[in-house]
Amino acid sequence: MHELSSAVVLFFRTAPRILGTFLWELPRNILIILLKTYRRIISPLYGQVCRFFPSCSAYALEAVTVHGAVKGSWLAMRRLARCHPWNAGGVDHVPAGHRHWPEGQTPMIVVLNNPDLFLAVRSDEDGRPTAA
Amino acid sequence: MDIFGTILAPFKWLVSAIMLGFHDGLSFIGLPPENGWTWTLSIIGLVLVIRAALIPVFVKQIKAQRGMQLLQPDLKKMQQKYKGKTDQLSRQAMAQEQMALYKKHGTNPFSACLPMLIQMPFFFALFQVLSGITQARQAGQGIGALSHEQVVQFDESSIFGAPLSASLLHGGPAGTDQVVVSVLSIVMILAMTASQFITQKQIMAKNMSEEAMASPFMRQQKMMLYVLPVVFGVGGINFPIGVLIYWTTTNLWTMGQQFFVIRRMPTPGSPAAKALAERRAAKGLPSLPLLGGKKDEDVAGEVAAIELKTQRIQPQRKNRKKK
Repeated sequence: MHELSSAVVLFFRTAPRILGTFLWELPRNILIILLKTYRRIISPLYGQVCRFFPSCSAYALEAVTVHGAVKGSWLAMRRLARCHPWNAGGVDHVPAGHRHWPEGQTPMIVVLNNPDLFLAVRSDEDGRPTAA
Repeated sequence: MDIFGTILAPFKWLVSAIMLGFHDGLSFIGLPPENGWTWTLSIIGLVLVIRAALIPVFVKQIKAQRGMQLLQPDLKKMQQKYKGKTDQLSRQAMAQEQMALYKKHGTNPFSACLPMLIQMPFFFALFQVLSGITQARQAGQGIGALSHEQVVQFDESSIFGAPLSASLLHGGPAGTDQVVVSVLSIVMILAMTASQFITQKQIMAKNMSEEAMASPFMRQQKMMLYVLPVVFGVGGINFPIGVLIYWTTTNLWTMGQQFFVIRRMPTPGSPAAKALAERRAAKGLPSLPLLGGKKDEDVAGEVAAIELKTQRIQPQRKNRKKK
């Protein structure tokens, strides 16, 4: 009985926070779903057209994942404005954000957009057993 | 008015104004203004204006592709480095390095999505103008730059007895022959999808470099070659005949442009480039000079200028010489 009531108290204490986080992150997560759908269905229609690495949609997905819906959208829009035939293109990464992920849980898009960073980490791990 | 409509409003005005310009011009040289063919030619005129405006972008892309030959040695080196590394992360690293390389040489074979994005609002605007004609007529309004009288005239005009604002799915205004609308729509949809398919097939068969053929995108592209005509075919039943005319004309333009490119300026390393080199060799012509990159003469000129500078004779005072 006591356990049950403490569970109820815990529920009422944490539920608003969970709900709050859910609502706060909702716009970001909706955008992430939209961008992933676009990348899966519409992007392949065109093949590669982007002059940048990462491509505009990959940039947008990372920006929204790392910076949230508002700043991420702003960054993505600025990138789209840069991506035109009179820009030389090249490598153009998303600026670093304040979100941090536990080790091994970095979102896939962040890993894929920064291959040199994560390749270095991985080759370190590969190298360890031989060094020991 | 919703956001979409507000954004499209200026495009609707521009599209209808260009069409009206052609219509007035064609009427001026003696074509009957109320005739459907005059309006058809106006739509074709609109396509010509939009596509001609995009030619500079296209030429720039072709030049960039030719400039790619200059960085072939560097590209080869990079491919050696990533040979056999097929995991996604290594592929991404290679893509990143490739982009950095393009930037370093100031050339980029990708045209950015701008040329495609630019056409989209025009297409949507035309779609709205044409499918809104009948409604605007009933409401006693004009559309974009078209006055109400011109809307009525457009709505009553037809080709082969099919109104330009009629579609396979929605038919035309009362009193139109639905069989004619259906037959003409289906013929136009077939022409539209066929021209698109042929263009895409030509590019893939003749104008892709060996590296592009071997890329992991290729399988998706190949699938799209067959999926896209189906998508457009199904979407086409909702398109007014005027929109089908627009789409078919723009596809034919792309096809012509592509045939020209495949014959005269193919992608380096593609079967079409090999064929061009063979044709030129058979005629005894030298192989094509490179475009987009720095020309050899320029470099030679610069070197000569530097040499001239270093050979400058030091001025000496007269009294020093006497010693």
